[in-house]
Amino acid sequence: MKYSLLFAIFFSLTTSVIAGETPPAMANCQTAECTKPFVVPAKEKMLHKKSDLRISVTGQGVAPLNTTSPAQAYALAKRAAVGDAYRLIAEKVKGVRVDGQDLIKNMMVQKSSVRTSVNAMVRNANIVETTFKDGLCEVEMEIILSHTQFSY
Amino acid sequence: MRSRDGNHTFTHTVLLLIFFSSLALNASEFLISYRYVLKDAILYNETLDISQAMKKCRGTAQKSLFLEHHNKKNIRDILSINSEEFIEFIHKLGLDVAHRGETINMQNSSTTILTLKTTCFKVDINENFAIIAPLK
Repeated sequence: MKYSLLFAIFFSLTTSVIAGETPPAMANCQTAECTKPFVVPAKEKMLHKKSDLRISVTGQGVAPLNTTSPAQAYALAKRAAVGDAYRLIAEKVKGVRVDGQDLIKNMMVQKSSVRTSVNAMVRNANIVETTFKDGLCEVEMEIILSHTQFSY
Repeated sequence: MRSRDGNHTFTHTVLLLIFFSSLALNASEFLISYRYVLKDAILYNETLDISQAMKKCRGTAQKSLFLEHHNKKNIRDILSINSEEFIEFIHKLGLDVAHRGETINMQNSSTTILTLKTTCFKVDINENFAIIAPLK
């Protein structure tokens, strides 16, 4: 009797591991977020003395509605996309400040706000590719960072 | 009797004064600033300010840009003709990025301001090209 019980416990454990069953904590999960498999975040790239670091971003911009020609629309959208790419580079290199505020009254959320800000100086960024399709301009930009730029 | 142009020292002094005053005014140096504003991924405002330097700028000329001047002598006209090249050059020099994003009740809005702080540029115009170099 004792051995049969132990065997049953062992058998159930091995079958659950082999079949890839969800752990008991996730068994009651109903939302899509918590059923996602746990992914270990990739190790962040670091700047080393011997190797440069290449950062690549894609900025997006659209033209205003009141343009007089497709050429003007393209030029304005491209300018906006370049600005967006600069912002993305600044966000990646220097980071983003995030401030959040929720106003709750009578157990109800009245106002929820999240403010983000970035301040940086970006130089020597290069445009790799520009595409313009359906009024959306995408600019791929990259910047190469070297250790000497940041060492004193 | 003294000759008509015998007062050499006086003439030389006046000429030297004119020469140095022209150097002081320094007609070939310009202060340029550039700024543009993006609101919700749309270009909202763009300004390029050009002003002649009132006094000599300090610093040495950095990497220069060659622009065809098409027989124009005014720097504003030259930059207007070659605005794309010049603005690309300005981007390479480096821009300050100030971004503010706001999400209120799930509605997002953002403003990005890119600025080239006022920089002194040395401008030399020869037969075919205008050579523009920032001083640093």
